[in-house]
Amino acid sequence: LKLEEAAEANDVVDRTAAIRAAGKSFSEDKDRGFEARMMDEHSKLLILQQAFEKDADGRVEFIGLSINDTIYKCITTGQSKKAEKVRSDWRVPDKRFWYIKLHALTEARDWEGLDAF
Amino acid sequence: EPQESSDPGVDVGVLKELARTGLVEALNAVPGAKTLVLDPTLAGPLGLITEVSLLKQHGIDKMFWLEPGALSASTQNVVYLCRPQIRWMKIIAEQIKHHTSLSERHTYNLLLVPRRTVLCDRILEEEGVFGDLHISALKLEFIPLEEDVLSLELEGTYKEIFLDDDHTSLYYSAQALMTIQQAFGLFPRILGKGTASARLCSLLQRMRTAGLAEDPTSPALSLPSTVVDSLVIIDRATDMITPLCTQLTYQGLIDELIGIKNSYVEVDASLLSTGPQAASQSATTPSLGANPTAPQQKKKKHLLAASSDPVFSQLRDLNFAIVGSNLNRLAKRLNEDYEGRHKAQTVEQLRDFVGRLGGLQTEHQALRLHTGLSEQIVPMTQTEVFNKSLEIQQNLIAGYDVNAQFLAIEDLINRSAPLHVALRLLCLFSITVGGIKAKALESMKREILQSYGYEHLTLLLHLEKLGLLCKAPGPHVSLPALRKHLRLLVDDVSEQTPTDIAYVYSGYAPLSIRLIQCVTMKPAVVAAEMGEKALAPAGLESKEGKIPGVLPRAHAIVGWKGFEEIVRQVPGDTVDVVQKPEGDGTGKVDLLPKGHSTTTVVFFLGGCTYTEIAALRWMSRQARGRRYLICTTSIVNGSTLIDSLSAGAWKHISA
Repeated sequence: LKLEEAAEANDVVDRTAAIRAAGKSFSEDKDRGFEARMMDEHSKLLILQQAFEKDADGRVEFIGLSINDTIYKCITTGQSKKAEKVRSDWRVPDKRFWYIKLHALTEARDWEGLDAF
Repeated sequence: EPQESSDPGVDVGVLKELARTGLVEALNAVPGAKTLVLDPTLAGPLGLITEVSLLKQHGIDKMFWLEPGALSASTQNVVYLCRPQIRWMKIIAEQIKHHTSLSERHTYNLLLVPRRTVLCDRILEEEGVFGDLHISALKLEFIPLEEDVLSLELEGTYKEIFLDDDHTSLYYSAQALMTIQQAFGLFPRILGKGTASARLCSLLQRMRTAGLAEDPTSPALSLPSTVVDSLVIIDRATDMITPLCTQLTYQGLIDELIGIKNSYVEVDASLLSTGPQAASQSATTPSLGANPTAPQQKKKKHLLAASSDPVFSQLRDLNFAIVGSNLNRLAKRLNEDYEGRHKAQTVEQLRDFVGRLGGLQTEHQALRLHTGLSEQIVPMTQTEVFNKSLEIQQNLIAGYDVNAQFLAIEDLINRSAPLHVALRLLCLFSITVGGIKAKALESMKREILQSYGYEHLTLLLHLEKLGLLCKAPGPHVSLPALRKHLRLLVDDVSEQTPTDIAYVYSGYAPLSIRLIQCVTMKPAVVAAEMGEKALAPAGLESKEGKIPGVLPRAHAIVGWKGFEEIVRQVPGDTVDVVQKPEGDGTGKVDLLPKGHSTTTVVFFLGGCTYTEIAALRWMSRQARGRRYLICTTSIVNGSTLIDSLSAGAWKHISA
């Protein structure tokens, strides 16, 4: 139910709050540890995405993207340091990360980056 | 045999007429010009029974979608047409109250499809608008999609029945099947598999008893049908393996890769409009069939129906592998037919040619469309994701090296394959293997949420609740036993000249259809147990003494006899009920009169796929004397089923 609220939320603050609340009710059920952790990851991601948007002065939209798309967007907008941060904070497996990076560099026509791959 | 094979069995046109007349009568009951306010989910189904011009003839002045916000009606009469759902009642109440506040005066009529409910009445009462509305019901039940396919066009029934435990659609299904019995007589025997099937069966019997109590002489409730020999109910939960696999027939692939909604497919306008004839054709396409939210740029809705498209009727059930060569052959023949005009010498011959020209042009038009559609599909079937996913499906059903399949699914997720591809494979893995090890399942779910977005958590929870995705050891389907005794995997499949239903998936015989064969085509299934050499048709022929070129006669229905053990291994209740004639103590019914053709009604509760329809049509052609009438709550595929389980898109937000 909190998830429905999160889906309907009008801004990022409301959504983060709803997701936190969902995480809390999941954590009350000992069989729902996984779901609680995922809600935790989700709210952390939203906070990080807000910071990323602030850094980019609102020129790049991050909020609402998945982890994969966040990494992708970081690379296509030339912010590979941020991509690395998401990679390590969310423990993204190497293989998936390299696929995303490969696609993103091709999309950005970053031949030097591809060369260094 | 020709007459018999072209005999469509029972005539379902009467049902379409019934629906049409019902609508017209309901509209005529409201005098004068009227504004129609339509539930968007009804647009598709209505488009299959009527056209806008018919609505205009019966006084519809303007049409609006039923949606939140004020309604500006220019006519005195307003007709609301919708499903009996709470959200619609609330909108209607708001619109009426808005008019009242402006002191606008209208006469409001509410048509509820397919029936009026106490709940809706109560909500309208609470909102204080109950007295302002004339409420009635519009019985829209089975809609004929083809002469052998009837659909309730109710979306989301799988989710409602199996996830939400909401039995509304069960009740609608029972009512619609009662109407079929009114038209064609009592089903002499009801067979079924699945827990929901059993519920539906007992509901049907209760309705019969209640009906008889009201009218003890009703022939439709007391006399077994002479044209229908049985009803076979399969609920979708009985076989989720089939819809999770990628359909490989022409129509199935169009549905998987392009999408067919209420029999309409969206195609490039350029494929439809050539010459003046084509223009007039597209003009009559009912805009009712259109999806209200779809952008109307260069795409056009086209009704895919065998009755209006001679080429499609030849192609729809073929394995896609041979569609190309068939199109080629058709093109050559058509060309020769056109060339025929040079041979016309006499006036008669010329007149004859001109007479056939209309037909040739229609065929030409259709050929263009299907060549275009095929050209669109071919590249989609050549992608790595498509082929890898086919390979994984076949290996999972064969039970071959399942660990490697798990890694292959993981790899597809790493490569950002579409979400529904990943989930279909993962669910298929879970069902066929019997669950996923707790740790592997958790990391896979995490991969999915990171790759596709955390908002899909609800969908994952739903899949787990339905047992489609579960921790090992999960509910066991004992696939090896089913594979062996029902021959779910057929090695030497011929796509060109199929000898078994397995051609629709290039090797996998749909479980749902094999279950039906246990009832209606016993030899074909028995042959399976006798070993690979005794193929289905051979088994049939031996019974008939091998007369070349003559199809064996269909055997009488004797229930699940001979397959009780294996059918028990499929989860869910097994149903077998004989509906005896009223007042006849013996209950003896000649189930299949000699030399008489009969129809077996198959009802899919929770939806069926185009491949299952193709397989049943193939079965219709294998024996003399039995046709199948396919009834379903709606047409589905694995992706639409999974979509129906997701909570819907999350609202877009920004900082």
